Amino acid sequence: MAEDAAPASAAPLLELDGVGITFGGLRALTDLNLTVGEKEIVSIIGPNGAGKTTVFNAITGVYTPDEGDIRLAGQSIAGRPPHKITDAGIARTFQSLRLFLNMTVRENVMAATYGSTKATPVESMLQLPRARREAREVKALTEEVLSFFGQRLAGYRWDQPAYSLSYANRRRLEIARALATRPKLLLLDEPAAGMNPNETHEVSEVIGRLRDELSLAILVIEHDMHVVEGISDRVVALDHGVKVTEGTFEHVANHPAVVEAYLGRDPEALAEA
Amino acid sequence: MPIGVDEWVAQHTDRRDAGTGWRRVMYTLEARVSWWPRLLIVFVVGLLFAQLNLNSNIEQVAINSLIYAILALGLNIAVGWAGLLDLGYVAFFGTGAYGYAVLSSGNIHWSAIATIPVVFLGTALFGAVIGLVSLRVSGDYLAIVTLFVGQAFMEVVNNVAPGTLGGVNGLFGLDPINAFGASISTPKGYYYFALIVLAVLMGLLHLLDESRTGRAWRAVREDELAAKAMTIPTSAVKIMAISFGAAVGALAGTIFAAQQSNVFPTNFTANILILIYACLVLGGAGSLGGAVLGGIVVTVGEQMVSSPTDAGYLFYGLILLALVAKVRPWKVLGAVLAATAVGGVALHAIVHAISPSATGGSPGSAGWIGHLVSHWVIVPTNATTYGNILYIALIVAVFAVVRVRESLRPFVLVPTLYIAACCWESRLIVNPSITAQILIGAILIGVMTARPQGLLGTLRVEVV
Amino acid sequence: MHELIQTIVNGLTTGFLYALIALGYTMVYGVLQLLNFAHGDVYMIGAYIGYFVIQWFGGPTALSIPVPLLVAIMFVISALGTGVLGVAIERFAYRPLRNAPRIAPLITALGVSFILENSVLLLFGGFTKSYNTNEFISFNTGIHIGAIDIDSVQITIFIVSILMMYGLIQLVDRTTLGKSMRAVASDREAAEMLGINVDRVISYTFFIGSAMAGVAGVMSGLAFNQISATIGFLAGLKAFTAAVVGGIGSIPGAMIGGLFIGICEAFAASYISSKYTDLIVFGILIAVMLVRPTGIFGRPALQKV
Repeated sequence: MAEDAAPASAAPLLELDGVGITFGGLRALTDLNLTVGEKEIVSIIGPNGAGKTTVFNAITGVYTPDEGDIRLAGQSIAGRPPHKITDAGIARTFQSLRLFLNMTVRENVMAATYGSTKATPVESMLQLPRARREAREVKALTEEVLSFFGQRLAGYRWDQPAYSLSYANRRRLEIARALATRPKLLLLDEPAAGMNPNETHEVSEVIGRLRDELSLAILVIEHDMHVVEGISDRVVALDHGVKVTEGTFEHVANHPAVVEAYLGRDPEALAEA
Repeated sequence: MPIGVDEWVAQHTDRRDAGTGWRRVMYTLEARVSWWPRLLIVFVVGLLFAQLNLNSNIEQVAINSLIYAILALGLNIAVGWAGLLDLGYVAFFGTGAYGYAVLSSGNIHWSAIATIPVVFLGTALFGAVIGLVSLRVSGDYLAIVTLFVGQAFMEVVNNVAPGTLGGVNGLFGLDPINAFGASISTPKGYYYFALIVLAVLMGLLHLLDESRTGRAWRAVREDELAAKAMTIPTSAVKIMAISFGAAVGALAGTIFAAQQSNVFPTNFTANILILIYACLVLGGAGSLGGAVLGGIVVTVGEQMVSSPTDAGYLFYGLILLALVAKVRPWKVLGAVLAATAVGGVALHAIVHAISPSATGGSPGSAGWIGHLVSHWVIVPTNATTYGNILYIALIVAVFAVVRVRESLRPFVLVPTLYIAACCWESRLIVNPSITAQILIGAILIGVMTARPQGLLGTLRVEVV
Repeated sequence: MHELIQTIVNGLTTGFLYALIALGYTMVYGVLQLLNFAHGDVYMIGAYIGYFVIQWFGGPTALSIPVPLLVAIMFVISALGTGVLGVAIERFAYRPLRNAPRIAPLITALGVSFILENSVLLLFGGFTKSYNTNEFISFNTGIHIGAIDIDSVQITIFIVSILMMYGLIQLVDRTTLGKSMRAVASDREAAEMLGINVDRVISYTFFIGSAMAGVAGVMSGLAFNQISATIGFLAGLKAFTAAVVGGIGSIPGAMIGGLFIGICEAFAASYISSKYTDLIVFGILIAVMLVRPTGIFGRPALQKV
């Protein structure tokens, strides 16, 4: 069965090469090959427990692969600590939101600029020039990033604590926070989870804008097939830690192994076998 | 602004935090006056206080308050901002004090220009090492390791190198803080010095809080994993928190040692650690103003407990305050107070009629308070055993008050208040040092269960 | 050689005490993820209860009942008293904070510890009290193997401790309560949803842990005579270390850890110096934490992202 080949970009931005991760006796990922090119939107789909978030954790350094390698722009990043991987240009959001709830909206975003600023505590305390300059830059960057979401995260919300935001706004804030790290690749973990149809549509639009306006490559985990269909350049299907197939949405959605993974095998076909 | 639009809804938390009535007035005032003018006002008040020319006892209490305020500020960095349970903090306080002591006595006799920075940086380094070791292990273990550091410090200053460190007897005859020939030798001088250090420290810490480091600390406390994902090197940040806190603690230690002119191992026991925690917890962990307020309130409170004339103010004042704050509606409060007062007087009269020696003792409070309560509380001539039994009864009663149903609570409250007063007058006030410790423990439990944000802190929202 | 064995015997004596206290720490940590700093003071109160039982029956020199009966009563009453105390502490100080961030009950535990210590100081004064054990249990009773003495107090400690530990293991492995405790330790929310009365399980855990500490307190009084309001602090700290070294949350770990710390301490006291034993125990803790942070029997917790 011929897969549609991935659109040939030059060297892919992100490359997972034969990645395997084992927890005790459980093989979470087996020989996974995955690429994401520049300005490409790739979706990962699969039933719960397929290993999708494990892929994210492996890429962002929460887990170190037991086998294989992960490369960003040709450079291996496997085994680096998370904050260094984010510095290198990969930012993520979390399946269950992980905001800094007691900090303001603005501060959540500003916190993510830590890696790109250098002022030492002493410089901050004495308000030396570098600290002041960086503070101005951080403030400008924060406002720019928050403004990406327009009226949704409007100015009057910026000094409210994050716990006062609605669910959809919290998801937006998490994306904004990730954007503040000036990533090249954005990992979105179920960005449309828990959203009504209107909000879901908005999420699809936002993801498109992220790619078009900010030139980001995006790797998305999603269950909502409307979103997947609407945004993806390419879709990767996982089940039990193994890549089942990969290609356009039509190809993957109709692939028998993908259908079986989601819907189970036809009992009649089973009886015949 | 029209009700119901997005912006109005967004400000709901502000409105809720502002409260109503006088609380709203305070909140609006606080919002209007920005941080730096507030610091200036506090500093000026502190200066004016010194002009009052009060007796040397009060001056000493004032200096101690400032020292504990500085200690609470330091503890706030690791505990209030970064959320790390640093139970070895008293060791940093001690290192600062002993460091100053060693460098200002014996054959060394450095001037303060040299000792203070050396001690400050040295303890910061010590803190960094402790942080490094504690972070090799996770979360709860930090508490254990730092607790042991505090213990180890005690062991070291008690047993190791008695020649330099003075052993059990401590070190005496330390130089006062001196530089360029001038030295601080009067209590008032130390008060001004401590006040200036406190004000400068508050300013610097405020700037730190608003900087990338402060945000990193708070982010680590909120969600360490997310912080790591957002470029924050959490281990380094945590070590910084402990180290900074240690340095501030050392600063307090140098002032402490200099103005006392001696240091003993018993100045840095676990009891002192818990005292500092009480200051921070009561004032409000996470808030600079809270740390300072907590330090002052606890120190002054401790002092009041020790003096029979003032202890009554503290005890009855606190109880009345707690009742007014918590018991609603007003008529229930009035009924409880009336019942306690009248019932007590009646009981006193009855018991007196039956057995005069049962009321033969006099209340521990002196002054007009003692006079007032002498016909209310029952204090026998030999009050010790009686007081002990009442103490146990009091603990059971407090337990009952907290656990009983809302509707029954006022009824249980009346005998509890009476027992508390009798126990206070006959037993607790007689042993002020132990009573002070009991109150400290009660503060920790009470604040954590009833008002975890303390006096000036903000209530945190936690993801369970 | 016999000096070595004697040291081991003495080490085992304190070791069993530490193990009993450590079990309480580890069990409570297992179900609540709380380091109960007040636990050491529960041990101290157990020691005081034992003291008062002796006085009640006439004092060390004029006992009105036979010694074995006295010792049994001391153990039982102390266990009951401290067990109830532990349950009360949990209900009063820790239960309201069940869902608060981890730091809150830890600070509260410090407060509870403080109140316990100072209440005892208030009620019974600061001077040490003495069991005067050798008034009713002569030093000369016990067994002698060559030049090694194991006196009857030590024998009692060994036997009772081993019995209690065996009972605890049976409880945890075989009974429904034990299964519930393990379930709650594993995942409290899931246990609740499966119909386990989590509050009651936690109360039982506190009861058992505190009772064992109480018995350890009586043993301490019998073995070492002197008790005071502050013995809980240091003993608690060392038992703590034992629980951590063995792997916090692990019951066999607490037992092994306690014995290990006890023996190390005895060796340090005999061969190095009794002044530095605490520092040495601290050093052991640091060493274990650096080499094997989860302790001997501990398992690293997998965090679900």
